[in-house]
Amino acid sequence: MRPLEGVRVADFTIHAAGPFATHLLTQMGAECIKIESAARPDIFRKPHAVYGRMGPATFDQVASGKQSVRLNLKDPRGRDLARRLVAISDIAAESFRPGVMQRLGLGYEDLREVKPDIVMLSVSSCGQTGPDAGFAGYAPLFGAWSGLGTLTGHPDGPPVELRHVMDHSVGLNAAMATLAALVRRRRSGTGAHVDIAAREVASSLIGDALVEAAAGAEPARLGNASAAMAPHGVYATGEPDGWVAVAVASDAQWRALVDVIGDGLPDGVHRQSPLRERMDRRPAIDAWVQTWTRARSGREAAAALQDAGVPAHDVWSTADVVGDPHLRARGAIVPVRERSGRPRLAVGVPVRFSLTADVGISRGTPELGEDEDHVFGELLGLGRAERDRLEEEGVIA
Amino acid sequence: MTNDAPLAGIRVVERTCGVGGAYAGRLLATLGADTMMIEPPAGHALRRTPPLLPSGQSSLFTYLAAGKRSMTLDVGDAVDRAVLERELARADVYIDDFPAEERDRVGLAPGAVAAAHPDAVVVSVRPFGMSGPKAGWAGEELSVFHASGEGNLLPNGLAQERHPHRPPLKIFGYFAHLQAGVAAAVGVLASMVREVGQVVDISVQDVVVALTAFGVQRYGDGSIEHRSTRSFRYGGVLECSDGYVELLTLEDRQWRGLVELMGAPDWAADPALADGVQRGLRGAEINTALRAWAHTQKASELVAAAQRLGVPAAKYASPADVLRDAHEIARGLFQSVEVQGIGSIPVLTAPFHIDGGPLRLRGGPPAVADRERPPVTSNVEAGR
Repeated sequence: MRPLEGVRVADFTIHAAGPFATHLLTQMGAECIKIESAARPDIFRKPHAVYGRMGPATFDQVASGKQSVRLNLKDPRGRDLARRLVAISDIAAESFRPGVMQRLGLGYEDLREVKPDIVMLSVSSCGQTGPDAGFAGYAPLFGAWSGLGTLTGHPDGPPVELRHVMDHSVGLNAAMATLAALVRRRRSGTGAHVDIAAREVASSLIGDALVEAAAGAEPARLGNASAAMAPHGVYATGEPDGWVAVAVASDAQWRALVDVIGDGLPDGVHRQSPLRERMDRRPAIDAWVQTWTRARSGREAAAALQDAGVPAHDVWSTADVVGDPHLRARGAIVPVRERSGRPRLAVGVPVRFSLTADVGISRGTPELGEDEDHVFGELLGLGRAERDRLEEEGVIA
Repeated sequence: MTNDAPLAGIRVVERTCGVGGAYAGRLLATLGADTMMIEPPAGHALRRTPPLLPSGQSSLFTYLAAGKRSMTLDVGDAVDRAVLERELARADVYIDDFPAEERDRVGLAPGAVAAAHPDAVVVSVRPFGMSGPKAGWAGEELSVFHASGEGNLLPNGLAQERHPHRPPLKIFGYFAHLQAGVAAAVGVLASMVREVGQVVDISVQDVVVALTAFGVQRYGDGSIEHRSTRSFRYGGVLECSDGYVELLTLEDRQWRGLVELMGAPDWAADPALADGVQRGLRGAEINTALRAWAHTQKASELVAAAQRLGVPAAKYASPADVLRDAHEIARGLFQSVEVQGIGSIPVLTAPFHIDGGPLRLRGGPPAVADRERPPVTSNVEAGR
């Protein structure tokens, strides 16, 4: 039995962060009902010109495994059906701007009236409260507000935009906090409103730098360097656009690196040099390492260093990731077959459970409204005639 | 810490040496669990990880250990081991991120701990996980991050334009390991929903691969992304007269707001630019004008005016900016805790509210236990 078997999610989330949270819950066994409408489908169902990408958007990944129904939330009867769905759910998730769910009569207090122990998840840029609660935002803005984007980049370059990885980090944190509320509900019967602020998730990733700043220091961009390790960098290999990352975390690993590379150590460092000496001579050491890496492929360099116990890995493209036997063996990359029969690759849930091998994606992307027989017919008990009428009147639409 | 904190009454034992496992323990502690950190006689490895604060404390350890209790034990010593076994017998969760050889050597392999304590959730956090052909590979933040595909996409936008020949870039700090800690907490909590004791196996690489999901999705759709081409057609990072801002218009009404923000320049009045597809195609031209305009603006003033017009924009904040931000202060993102040798400083609690307010840390990072005193009663109390 999958960990979340029997847990039902009424999913109002759109875009990337919220849907990724419910996607994780779905992969662990929750029954997730995605609520959209034909008039206002999830914007991620469509291509988007500003990304310079006119082909398929990236909806398939996060919608996989979910069920889909249409509901016009502008109609009071649509909102009533939404509340009825929440009443038979354990979790209600949304990612509108703060205030939208309340205006629809679907705020936490409204939902508690129909389901007193509901766990409600709200995902937003800046949280449900505070002076910036109404601010619009996308992933790169979370990085900017939080300090994470400011600290990412080369010391002599500008800050760096963080993209979907930021949305998904928000979704991962949201899934975690929601599960904590679900655990409490199981133990005490108490529901909860979980309020995730994307910019705060990004700030949580620089919690150590914020401690430094609180103590009076001024953390700055480091590129690929580290305050704790040397050598520590990404080095060019002999291949076009080929790179290998090497991080020497201890004196023993430094000695191992020296033994692998052999001669030519720069002046002022030796096999017994402690971290401080290596830090002082970083540019010369980096040049020495790169002379060695340039003479081989990234894969060869990483393998030789790993054999000696030195943390190293060639820098991987998506093509390397999807072709990796290790990631396939772990279910981190999974094949999915869409309803159309089209096969594609997707990422799985990044958690392995010893008692449950079947976590992950069990079906592909639902068509809009594909699961209404089950959800409206079986779960809510609406008859065919009533559903037809609601469709004609634009409520189920 | 209130009694209705989500995980009040849950007991966590944590034996970690790295960021991923320690962050999992920190999250559970912040959610209300009683997290007991088992430190070796030399102290937790992260206590010595630079950068160090003026008092000699590690900023990383300060962040990750806040709110935990601590006990110093030599797991190879019979007396100390009995203390550990007693803690494990009472634990709901056991977190371990040591290498497999070390776990085997001291008899704390996850499977063995789970067998001895079948009601507990045992979670392992390793760079490449517990199983699979690379399970034994060494990994640090830099190398595991770059094994995930995301590093090949960074930097993008302005940073890539300025330094196109530099290597792929990691995200600052311990992004991969911190998110692995979140995934570990997901695994623990998902197991606890049905109260199933089992082993949860987290690979840091798996986690970052999952977070880069769309790269894999697009690969399946036939497109391979690369840092040199993965930029917004216009907008993105803009340099102002006194700093940087991020500005994006993904919707038509946001574009119209941006035109108004820039004072409705003649070039933007071209009717063709009302169409998002055309704007995408003419992104370079738009960017030239947008960047020239941004250079004449002050970052904070630009952002305030943009947000008034519904244009998504944010200043690239420094850590000091974040600490004094009125929004973060209003939401209670930071809690002042006591840090030995420094005094009281604000430390980030958690990036979410439950029940309408922030979570609370029990306190600052625990001091190193005094080995001369009996371990159970030493800084168990001091850490409260």
